Order: sequence, then structure tokens, then C-alpha cells
Amino acid sequence: MGITSEQHSSASSIDSSSDPCAAAATSSSSFCAPIQSNNSARFDLSTDLRLGLSISSSCYNDLFPTPTTTTRVQPLSWPPIRSILRSAHLDKTLDHKQASLFIKIYMEGIPIGRKLNLFAQDGYDSLITTIAHMFPTTILCPGADRVHSDKYHVLTYEDKEGDWMMVGDVPWEMFLNNVKRLKITRADRC
Amino acid sequence: MKMMMGSSFPEEVLEHVFSFIERDKDRNAISTVCQSWYEIERWSRRRVFVGNCYAVSPAILIKRFPDVRCLELKGKPHFADFNLVPEGWGAYVAPWIAAASSAYPWLEEIRLKRMVISDDTLELISKSFKNFKVLVLSSCEGFSTEGLAAIAANCRNLRELDLRESEVEDLNQSSGHWLSHFPDNYTSLVSLNIACLNSEVNFTALERLVGRCPNLRNLRLNRAVPLDKLAILLRRAPQLVELGTGEASDLRPDVFSNLLGAFSGCKELKSLSGFWEVAPGYLPGVYPICPRLTSLNLSYATTIQSSDLIKLVSQCQNLQKLWVLDYIEDLGLEVLAASCKDLRELRVFPSEPYGVEPNVLLTEQGLVSVSEGCPKLHSVLYFCRQMSNDALRTIARNRPNMTRFRLCIIEPRTPDYRTLQSLDGGFGAIVEHCKDLRRLSLSGLLTDRVFEYIGTYGKKLEMLSVAFAGDSDLGLHHVLSGCENLRKLEIRDCPFGDKALLANAAKLETMRSLWMSSCSVSFGACKLLGQKMPMLNVEVIDERGPPDSRPESCPVEKLYVYRTVSGPRFDMPGFVWTKDEDSALGLS
Repeated sequence: MGITSEQHSSASSIDSSSDPCAAAATSSSSFCAPIQSNNSARFDLSTDLRLGLSISSSCYNDLFPTPTTTTRVQPLSWPPIRSILRSAHLDKTLDHKQASLFIKIYMEGIPIGRKLNLFAQDGYDSLITTIAHMFPTTILCPGADRVHSDKYHVLTYEDKEGDWMMVGDVPWEMFLNNVKRLKITRADRC
Repeated sequence: MKMMMGSSFPEEVLEHVFSFIERDKDRNAISTVCQSWYEIERWSRRRVFVGNCYAVSPAILIKRFPDVRCLELKGKPHFADFNLVPEGWGAYVAPWIAAASSAYPWLEEIRLKRMVISDDTLELISKSFKNFKVLVLSSCEGFSTEGLAAIAANCRNLRELDLRESEVEDLNQSSGHWLSHFPDNYTSLVSLNIACLNSEVNFTALERLVGRCPNLRNLRLNRAVPLDKLAILLRRAPQLVELGTGEASDLRPDVFSNLLGAFSGCKELKSLSGFWEVAPGYLPGVYPICPRLTSLNLSYATTIQSSDLIKLVSQCQNLQKLWVLDYIEDLGLEVLAASCKDLRELRVFPSEPYGVEPNVLLTEQGLVSVSEGCPKLHSVLYFCRQMSNDALRTIARNRPNMTRFRLCIIEPRTPDYRTLQSLDGGFGAIVEHCKDLRRLSLSGLLTDRVFEYIGTYGKKLEMLSVAFAGDSDLGLHHVLSGCENLRKLEIRDCPFGDKALLANAAKLETMRSLWMSSCSVSFGACKLLGQKMPMLNVEVIDERGPPDSRPESCPVEKLYVYRTVSGPRFDMPGFVWTKDEDSALGLS
């Protein structure tokens, strides 16, 4: 269980259970073959529905955009390739339309950052909307009047030179070329 | 009789005898013999492996094993590697290190996989354990080069720093300087793997470090270290056994000849990796050492095409492990099969995983060739775009010694390209013939029948990965009721649901974990499972909000079930839902 070898399940007495399985085992006899014929139609239908739904209805969708073709399901989790290998490919595929540009986004006071695909955003507006779904705050749009309050946040980015800039200071395409990471900062600290 | 023997030996003698027994499995067995063996064993256990950091608490671990020197922990589910686990899910190592820092002052090794570790925690490690020697962070995140600087500055006896495929932030511009924090009189480094770092490294600091550590055996550089500087490092460390190179896109004759000379001086080199963006013209530089190589990882070598790979591989006659992109093509694998008779492990990765059309000539034939030509081959990971039942049957007959077989046909639900039938029979042959199969990944068009084969024959199977397969609950039921040794089961996009899950609830307690995403499991069944099996943590991951706000028939997004002796975890993020949370809501 908790403490075992890679090759072995629990013989360690840290969890030496006196077979708690016995109680539950009784129900397994009720499992029977006809399930397949009874439910296969429903499953087929629900599978189709779900494959569509699981992509479009989740807020995962904000991070990983819906593929345009129906044959591709969640392009970044399938095929199953580790991220380091994906990034090795990224350099090569940047020209392709379906390529993605993942950067990390942080918020003050939240220790863990999240990843965001910038290529899935049309521009600054869609970026702000997406981020609003990911972090519990209101972000002032670029160019809006500066409000000095801890309730509002602004979006800053670190550029290739390592300087922190306000998001929106350059055209979107130039921003895509320069951005290294994003940080949500309290408006009154700017 | 056994009792007599147990009581007649002095404790010191038994403890000495036990010290020769290393495998966790054997030590676990010893501890169940009698109370006194249990006591002696627990006081003398120095290495502990925790396969799931939520299956036991630090307090329970420390109470049972008071004097641990090597701690290995695993965190997130395996599917986290493929973006299926949302960020912020958990697997924070901080509570473990905090507890260990007071309980295990003599801790020497920490090995973590898929865990979140902060710079503060790295600093705590660097200052808490006086004789700290090994830090392995495999697919970890949450830390930066500042944390690494603390390790470098404070761990005077560090032998191994291995960052594997971790995600390391570089928070300040001079991030490459963390290497210069190793003190001038520090000389104990044996293994350094920084291949995953995105940032520049300070080459002067690296060169001095490599130069003053006479026992350095393994050095894996990141791509920022240019190939023209590699020769300098190799001349300073000709004793290297494993090397990961940086990148070099332009071929320069002076660099080449320099490198050729440096490689010739490395008489111990057995393992090569890296080759990011390397101009193919550099490859002849490593030809002199090819006959010695046992391990070659070219999975980042995105610029080396078939003909160059063939020339390289045909000279590596003692190769045991090859990781390569599909640029090697069927022809290259045929050469591999003819040249490398000692090959044990082969991984072929896709060069264009998201393309719809094949960009290389890599089919089932390449794998068939290797299965015929390499009698010791027992571990395979193979990405391709077409497969046939005949090919799988041939592979199964050729290599009954296979223990790990992972096949990924890139397009989901691809049938046998010749007959347009499912691949049930082919995978069935794999599980039937390969009696020692421990790990299996399925792909292609598959019905419930393949799971019947797996349940019937896969008696030693320990880990099974399934995607886009099966027709009904019956498929999952075959696996859970048939695979006696199954420890990890991960499933995505399959029509498996409540009935199979609940009917085999007891089986889940014998396993480390079950992952199901985009399947047909209802939240009601998850709650029921949690109530029925108190030793299981049943966690629903649903980023759409509370699962019971949707109709009962609406399946949960993701389900992660694992056994535990420490109860529900305390660090669940808002998108993880359990029966307890639900009942708490119900009461209020």
C-alpha cells in the first residue's frame, strides 16, 4: 500500500489489513454478462455525446482549445507524449497553424502558476477573459483608468530582456514575440 | 521450530542478517514473520519507497521506520505527463520534508517523481540533513534555480543532482549562476543531470565544477551548452560514463575535429543523449565510441534523418537501449535488428505527433524486424500510424520474453489496416504469449474482447493503460476480475461505468490506483464507492463545478481512486470532489 516495493503490493504491516475486501466481494457475483447487450446502444450514444461535451463544456477548454477537426481529440493529451518531448517539437512546428505557445502565468499570493496557450487567444481581450476564468480576480483591461485598490489586478509580463511590462503596451503580435511569462499584480502596487 | 529460531538468535545477529536483504518485497515479508522480526526490521530499514504520497502520511511513516536514510516518493498520477491532471492538483512534498527534517537528520537521499517542490523546501533540504548525498527530481515542478543554488551551496557531500524532466523556473536573469554556488572545495559530484533546464548555464562555473570533481561519471547538459564547448568539458572529465550533449546547428570543421579528438579520449563512455538540433555532420565525431555504447537517446535529435541514423546505429553493436524518433523509419529498424543483437529496450517517438498524414515510412514492419532480430528485446514503446493483427501475433511469438509493451497508434480507434478488423486478436496474442508481461498500453480499434484476453492471460500484469477502447462495462470487469497482480490501471475515453467499478470495489484496495477520465462513471457511483470502501480515497476531478449540480446521468470528468492508510487528504483543490465534501454540503 503506502510503503511497498515497485514490484510488490502490500505485505508490509503498516497497512496490514485484515482483508476488508471480504465485505465488498459479495456484490461481485451480481455482475453478469448481459450488461453488454442491454447497454451497448446507450454507451455508443453517450460516448459520442461525451466526446463532444467533454471538450466544449469544461473550462479546460480555455486552456486547450477545441480542435477544428472531429478526428483530433484533445490534441495536447493525445498522443501521449511527455512535455519535454513536446517542447522539443515545438521549435519545429511553430510555423504550423495548430501550434501552441505555452507560457506560465502566476498571481501574487498564489504559489502555483498555471499554463496558458497564447496561440489560442485572438488578442488582449480574449487573453483577459481567459485569465478571468483561471484566477479569482477582476483584471483591469489594458488602457483602462488606473484604479488604486487591492480589489483589482493588472496583468504584467516579463519580456525577453527580463523586464516587467504592462500587458497591452505593444501590438499583440509583438507581444507574442516578446513575452516570457505573465504575472497578475495588484493594481495599487503599480 | 521457526519460533524457536526467531527467539534464539540475538537481535544484533538478526539485524546483521537483515542488512543483506535489500528488496522492499523481501523486507516486507520479513516483517510479517513475528513481532520481534517486525521490530528489528523496522529499526533497520534504511530505504523506503512510497508509490503514492497520499497513501500514507509522514507521521505514520516515521512511526513505523524511525531511521530512514533514503526516501523515494511519487505524487501525481501518471497521466499528469500528458496534461490530464489540472495544475494545482496537489502532490506537494513540503509536509514530507518538514517531517523528515526533524525525524531523519541522517537522511542521505531524496527521490521524487511528479511532485511539487518549492525553493523554500529545497533550502530546507539543503540545511536539514548533514550528510545529504542524492537529490533526484523526476518530472517535478514548483521550484527555480534559486532552490538549486541553495542545494549547491549547502550540500557539501552531494553526489547526485538529477533533474530528469522537471520544469525549472529561472526567476532572475543571472539564473545560470546557480552552478557557481558549489563551493570551491566541493569535489564529490558523481552525477549531474540538468538537461531539462531552459536557461543558460554559466559555462565557467560548469567547467570549473566538472574539472574539480574526479568521480564525475554522468553529465547531462541542457541544450544551452553549445557543442563547441563540449570538447573542453570532455577533456576535463575523460572518465565520463554517461553524457548528454547540448545543441549545435551549424557544422564548423574546427569544432568537429576538436570534438572528435575529445570523444576519442573518453574511454569509459557508454551512454549518449541530447543532440538537440545537432547538424548531422557532427555525428561522425562520435563514431569512434559507438562500439562501446550501450545506451543511446536520440529522442530530442529532431534534425537527424534516416540515413544518418542508420550509419550511427549500425556501428553501435553493443547497444542495449535505444530511444529514437520515427525518422529512423522501417529501414533503420531493420539495420538495428541486424546490427544490435544485445538490444533490450526500444522506444520510437513520433516526430510529428499532431500531423494527420504520415511524414515518415515507419509502420508495423519496423517493430516486427526488431522483434525478429533482437532476442533480448523485452521493453518496447512504439508510436506508429498503422498496425495489423498479423504483425502483433508475429511480435508475440518472436518475443515471449517481453515484459513491457506499449504501442501507440496515433489516430484513436485505428483498425487493422489490412482487414479493417479490431486489434483484439493481436493484443490477445501479446498477453497470451508474453507470460511475464508487466506493463501494457493499448491503442487502435479494440472491443471488450481484448479485455477478456487480458483478464484471462495477463496474470503478471502490473500496469495497464487504456485509451479509446472497449464497448461496455464488461471490458473493465474482465480486467479488474482477471488481472491478479494489477497495481495501476489508467483509462481515458472508454465507455466503462458504474457497474464494473462497483462490482469490483474490493479489487481496488489491492491496487495502488485507478484513473478514469472521460468514461461513463457517475458521481453517485463514486460516492457509493467511497462509502463502501473506507480505505479508498475516491476523488472526482471536475473543473465544471460541483458534480451533483448536474443530472445523475452526466458522467464525471475524471476519477482518481487510491487506497490509503491516512484517510482523506487535506490539500484538495476546489475542483476535486469527494463523498465527504458532499455530505458536509448536505448538512449545512
